[in-house]
Amino acid sequence: MINHQPPKWADRFLEWYCNPDLLEDLQGDLYEVFYHKLDQGNPLQARLYYLWLVIRSFRYSAIKRNSKLKNTTLMMTKSNLRIALRILKNNKFYTGLNLAGLAIGITCFFLTGFYVKQELSYDQFHAKKDRIYRVWLKEIYSDDKVFFSSTTPLLFETFLEDNFDEFETAVQVDHNNYLVGSGTNRINENVGVVSPEIFKVFDFKIEKGNKENLLQGKRDLVLSASYAKKYFGEDTAIGEALPIEIQGEIIDFIVTGVFGDIPKESSISFDMAISNENNIDLYDPRALNHWFQIRTETYVLVGENSHISNVEATIGDVVMNLIGDRVNEGEYNIGFQPLTDIHLNTDIPVGRAPVGNPSYVAILGVISLLVLVTACINYATLSVCQSLKRTKEVGVRKVMGAQRKSLIHQYLSETFLIIVVAFALALGLTYLSLPVFNELTNADVRIDFELWHIGLYLGLIIIVGLTSGIYPAIVLSRQGATQIFRGSGGARGKQYLRKGMVVFQFLITVFLISSTLIMRKQLNYMQNKDMGIEYKATVSVPLYRDPATRSLADAIRTAMEKGELLKEKLSLYPEVSDIGMGSHVFGDPGWATFSYTDDTQTFREFRIVAVDPHYLNTFDIKIKKGKGFDPESELDKRQSIILNEAAVKHFGLKDPIGNQLPGNKFGNHSIIGLAEDFNYSSLHNAIEPLIITQNVQPILEGTDDVNFSDSPIPKLVFRYSGSELSKVQDILEKEWKQVLPEEELNFSFIEENMRAQYANENRMNRLLSVATVLSIVIACLGLLGLTVLVVKGKEKEIGIRKVIGASESSIFKLLISSFSWQLLLGVFLSIPFTYWLMNDWLKDFAYRIDLSIDLFALGGIISIVIALITITFHTLKASMMNPADIIRSE
Amino acid sequence: MKRTTIGELEELVLLSVGSLYGQAYAVTILEVIKEHTQRVLDITAIHSVLRRLEDKGFITSTMGGATKERGGRRKKFFTLSQAGRRVLDETMEVRIALYNKLPKLIFTGLS
Repeated sequence: MINHQPPKWADRFLEWYCNPDLLEDLQGDLYEVFYHKLDQGNPLQARLYYLWLVIRSFRYSAIKRNSKLKNTTLMMTKSNLRIALRILKNNKFYTGLNLAGLAIGITCFFLTGFYVKQELSYDQFHAKKDRIYRVWLKEIYSDDKVFFSSTTPLLFETFLEDNFDEFETAVQVDHNNYLVGSGTNRINENVGVVSPEIFKVFDFKIEKGNKENLLQGKRDLVLSASYAKKYFGEDTAIGEALPIEIQGEIIDFIVTGVFGDIPKESSISFDMAISNENNIDLYDPRALNHWFQIRTETYVLVGENSHISNVEATIGDVVMNLIGDRVNEGEYNIGFQPLTDIHLNTDIPVGRAPVGNPSYVAILGVISLLVLVTACINYATLSVCQSLKRTKEVGVRKVMGAQRKSLIHQYLSETFLIIVVAFALALGLTYLSLPVFNELTNADVRIDFELWHIGLYLGLIIIVGLTSGIYPAIVLSRQGATQIFRGSGGARGKQYLRKGMVVFQFLITVFLISSTLIMRKQLNYMQNKDMGIEYKATVSVPLYRDPATRSLADAIRTAMEKGELLKEKLSLYPEVSDIGMGSHVFGDPGWATFSYTDDTQTFREFRIVAVDPHYLNTFDIKIKKGKGFDPESELDKRQSIILNEAAVKHFGLKDPIGNQLPGNKFGNHSIIGLAEDFNYSSLHNAIEPLIITQNVQPILEGTDDVNFSDSPIPKLVFRYSGSELSKVQDILEKEWKQVLPEEELNFSFIEENMRAQYANENRMNRLLSVATVLSIVIACLGLLGLTVLVVKGKEKEIGIRKVIGASESSIFKLLISSFSWQLLLGVFLSIPFTYWLMNDWLKDFAYRIDLSIDLFALGGIISIVIALITITFHTLKASMMNPADIIRSE
Repeated sequence: MKRTTIGELEELVLLSVGSLYGQAYAVTILEVIKEHTQRVLDITAIHSVLRRLEDKGFITSTMGGATKERGGRRKKFFTLSQAGRRVLDETMEVRIALYNKLPKLIFTGLS
């Protein structure tokens, strides 16, 4: 018989983990069972069974708890932590300073980090995100005429699906405003008009209904969960009918699906959607097959084994085959933008969803890092300074045989202990301050937690711990024991690195202060700049067109007719004055743009606003030459137009009054006046050519292309002089019901809308202010700690100086001067840095402030004053102390 | 004083230790249980229970002589301690008292 043995390595494993007191018996029993099993037959089975038993025996009660397992590293960590805890407890002041600084720094990092993360996480929740692209269209013609847009012609969906095997499918995403509901409670809703396959391409969660056949029918409707609740309460919405008015016809749509609310971080967003089969009713047949009219966003899903570059390579030829008779090579370009690229890529025009500003995200990311770095530097400088007091401790440890490695180990334990506590504090602080932060910055940041974040947090702890702890640990452990006890260990080197860190920290603080000041000045400048118009206490009320109208001119006309009725009623109120109407009002971005090519083949592009004769008065727009509209004149109503100065320049008109626009396709019109330039969009942009008219029809006849992102349906505007702003609502609600009972009343103050144009800058400024305040606090904590340490170190020197006869003021000067050059250096170094970054930021604005020296000076002065206030108290106290108290005790 | 209770498997092992009287070690306990209850247990479970019982003071152990079939390793023999005997008695009493309270009706039926 072959002598079978249990597997050797299983035995070794057992011997490794098992408590030796138990091992002999346990192993013996296992052997017995093994041989027993072996007798029954199969040796392999017996061996496997033995292995199984060894693994099963691996229990807490059997694992050795003897000294072998406790190697020195683990043991020392425990003791290191215990000692660290004692040291931290003994130095409550520094522990407090360090904890506060780090906790604030990490909190700041968290808050801005969450914000940045949110911006970066747009559209990341789709499983197929890497295969989804949005289609853009760029038409480039001679004479610099370029149309670039990420909304595309309606026929693109079928064109792309039919001609390219690389695409699994293409989907349209569009939005329109329709009146939804029945009777007098109709609401003007933004309704998505989408391809039915949208739910197969994008991962919107379907809560009710069958994912496979959503929106299959022309009259099918899908709702978001919150909209299903809004319209149908807690009942199941599936199968219910919801009337929507489309092109003047009220149609019952049947709810076939409910999807979970689309997250904020999505470029595609809608709360209700119908199938794009309805396009037949929405557009005239020509538009459906038009290559040059852009309407909707088109997204494509690339097949799993295909690559978008194949399409990009061939699409030009395919297009030329189809429409080569109408365009030249290189004029009609189709491109694809990755889905995840949409939110933060400003090179491609905005589609339906607003995009973020990548430079703001980058700036914030950098700032949050800077603040964190300041906090780390703080810790490092404070620890190094404090190390002066601990040289004896190092000496004793070294004499006892401590290696340098284990000393570093010990100091790092101290750092990590502090950082873990600071981290926990910061988490709590972040949680508590998040509502305030959101309020302050107008952001909508949420804390979300996933399991892998634990790794992230641990990583952060380690990085922060090493950055702040490694330098002090090295400095502390550097000296030899003999040096220390011989007494030559006190002052070591000039500590350039430490001083450099103070300078750097100060540089960051001054940079943040100056940047905040500069941004604030630019914002104030924009919000207070004379726009050339009067818009104080002006209310804007969007009107509604007659739903049956199809042409733009008719839509504007019918809405103004309704507006006239409302105007009559409102004019009876004494506090309402200067009533006017216009297709666009101030504070709304995206006034209608018309373009055409004139007889000399020059491409002309201008903006246009359709108004009633009172509009110019309401906003106090000044007429420079000629005259304004005469309310009585029928001629004015039909064909008079007014240009702004920029338009006169654009059209190159020498003597505009009484003349016409260049080009011969326009209807009857004549220029009757010239308005002073006024700014009708935000100050990001320069003033563009504008035509003011009461009737857009003659101009429309001569234009090739119309584009607007603000609704061209007129708004009624009036000045409200009542003392209570809340009464506006009462007045409007009362009169609105009589004139337009079926529509929803919306109104806003123009001042607010103007401010909203700078929301991004405002938010940025607020975020920066928060970061600045926090970094000032951190820097002050650091300075305070440094001062106390330096003063402590110089106590004897001060005492002796005083005995010899130094005055209090000269001592004070001496102490202050030890910091002042570091502070000044920080201020000076920050200037070029700030100048470079802020200049870059200001380039975004057509109207901007100059970066004058006074802003930098102010930033520097503020920071120096704050720094001096921080250090003065302690230095003063030190310079006033009684020398006898110090020198006596030796 | 905290009342010490024992679980079902613990009770079974404890009874086996008592009944084997001096010959009780993990393998024989395993066999006794198998013989009486037809339950095939894992030897590691027996070890774990034995360690627990010893910690609770219900059994005591002594190392026996070496045998060849165990690779020269000694056996660890277990005997029931006073406390172990007491806890078994208590458990039995509780069971018998409750058992006697079962109404006969249910088992004899109505016929």
